[in-house]
Amino acid sequence: MMNVKNLIKKYDGKTVVDSVSFDIPKGKVTSLIGPNGAGKSTVMGVISRLISRDGGEVTFQDQDISRWKSKELAKRLAILTQTNNIQMKLTVRELVTFGRFPYSGGRNTKEDEEIIDQALAYMELEDIQDQFIDELSGGQRQRAYIAMVIAQDTEYVLLDEPTNNLDIYHASNMMKIVRRLCDELGKTVILVLHEINYAAFYSDYICAFKDGKICKFGTVEEVMTKENLSEIYKVDFEIMEIEGRPLSIYY
Amino acid sequence: MNHAAVRANQRKLVILAVIVLLCAAGFMFYAVNFGNPKLFRYAMKLRTPKLVVMLITAFAIAGASLVFQTIINNVIVTPCLLGMNALYSLIHTAVVFVAGSTSLLATNSNLAFAVDLVLMAIVATIVYSFLFEKTHHNVLYILLIGTVLTSFFSSIQTTMTRIMDPNEYDSLLETLVASFENVNAEVIVASLVVLAAVIFFLRKDLALLDVISLGKDQAINLGVDYDRCIRRLLLSVTLCIAVATAMVGPISFLGLIMANLSRQFLRTYRHSQLILGSTLFGMAILIGGELIVERIYHYAVPISVFIGVFGGLYFLYLLLTNKRV
Repeated sequence: MMNVKNLIKKYDGKTVVDSVSFDIPKGKVTSLIGPNGAGKSTVMGVISRLISRDGGEVTFQDQDISRWKSKELAKRLAILTQTNNIQMKLTVRELVTFGRFPYSGGRNTKEDEEIIDQALAYMELEDIQDQFIDELSGGQRQRAYIAMVIAQDTEYVLLDEPTNNLDIYHASNMMKIVRRLCDELGKTVILVLHEINYAAFYSDYICAFKDGKICKFGTVEEVMTKENLSEIYKVDFEIMEIEGRPLSIYY
Repeated sequence: MNHAAVRANQRKLVILAVIVLLCAAGFMFYAVNFGNPKLFRYAMKLRTPKLVVMLITAFAIAGASLVFQTIINNVIVTPCLLGMNALYSLIHTAVVFVAGSTSLLATNSNLAFAVDLVLMAIVATIVYSFLFEKTHHNVLYILLIGTVLTSFFSSIQTTMTRIMDPNEYDSLLETLVASFENVNAEVIVASLVVLAAVIFFLRKDLALLDVISLGKDQAINLGVDYDRCIRRLLLSVTLCIAVATAMVGPISFLGLIMANLSRQFLRTYRHSQLILGSTLFGMAILIGGELIVERIYHYAVPISVFIGVFGGLYFLYLLLTNKRV
């Protein structure tokens, strides 16, 4: 279980996250949405221990994340951020192998190798497993990182704008992968998204941020209403139902 | 495949090691009179310390440069370009300046070395961690401020030597302006002890270098205690630079050449191999270069000039070809 309580984060005296509280539904996909500067990425950073906080609690499995041993937390919670520039010559397989690091400390057992093989197969990366990361296309690279997260074998997966810089084809594929992570592998997925329709179509819950606070939090159907979205984004919206899911139109 | 690449690199490293051995043999035995044991012993006595110093220096600079590049996640910057060896020279001068040239600190080179090392470890760690934090690891800012720091440290050092008593300056010069022509062999044992201690006490942090090269976020995600680890690694960098500078004086571009040749040659992320490769490249460059300088140019051109010229060109080449500076 993961709960956030009265979370506060300030940058240079300016409060960017203002007493945010919510419980993350287990075994579901939860999307954090909101306009730029609403604090959603910061909340993501804090709950994944990448960013320090100025107040409040983040409880993970009945213990505050600051009291977890980093290595133990790495076996239960994986985070993938947007900026992943590697200066090293690293092949896809080697990158995925790093996912086992919390368990093996760099010395992989046969079992680790099997898990790496499975992760590569799951992301259909076997053919390009020996190519260097910096020679891949954006979509392939993103898949390689997801494979690493799968190899890390954590219950919780946090993704910060996984569709960023991807074209429509790769972005929607990425969202399908997110769905499979939850449905097939039983993971709890939390992601920051800019495209509200991806959030509406592929997630179970939506947490909408505005001005550092949670504006709306609920199931997709609860949050995706004309009034809510207009309030969050200050733009006029129309809601249409496609395949039983509310999708928004804005211009 | 994974293992094939590792083995291929091991072969490359063996080839490098053979080249280093050949260079070392050439350096030690070229134009030596084997017939006369007295002359032979004399030549060995002159050449052995120099060879040992070059071997240690190559390792110290290779380790420092690669660890530093991984810490700041950039392959263009080296600690020397950010003025770390200028800082060491400044500290050394300041110690003699404050203590006086007749004090034990100035006359006993091992004691002076120890004091320098402690001061260096403290000051450099504070200065550079502050620098990284303030610039949020922005490489261009770091490089800019580092360049300013280099001239800042050298200016203070020059000012101190200007107002120093000429006699004091003279004795300082001996230890300060160490170069490959005038190596400071008195601290060999101390240097070896320092390097061995660094490797021993930081072995766990050094083992994390591969993970840290994935970047801060990924390292934390994979369970690395990032801030603590970076502090300790930075400490090891400053100590290695101090060792190298104490023995052969400041050489700016050597670390850059070695680290990047090793990266281009081995094309791997494994730091154990990269550091070894970089060390071997450094040894080959230093010993081979010294051989050429002594036998072909007859000491007319010091090796630091060659390293400076070719290193500078190589630096420009890297800047212009590397898209991700």
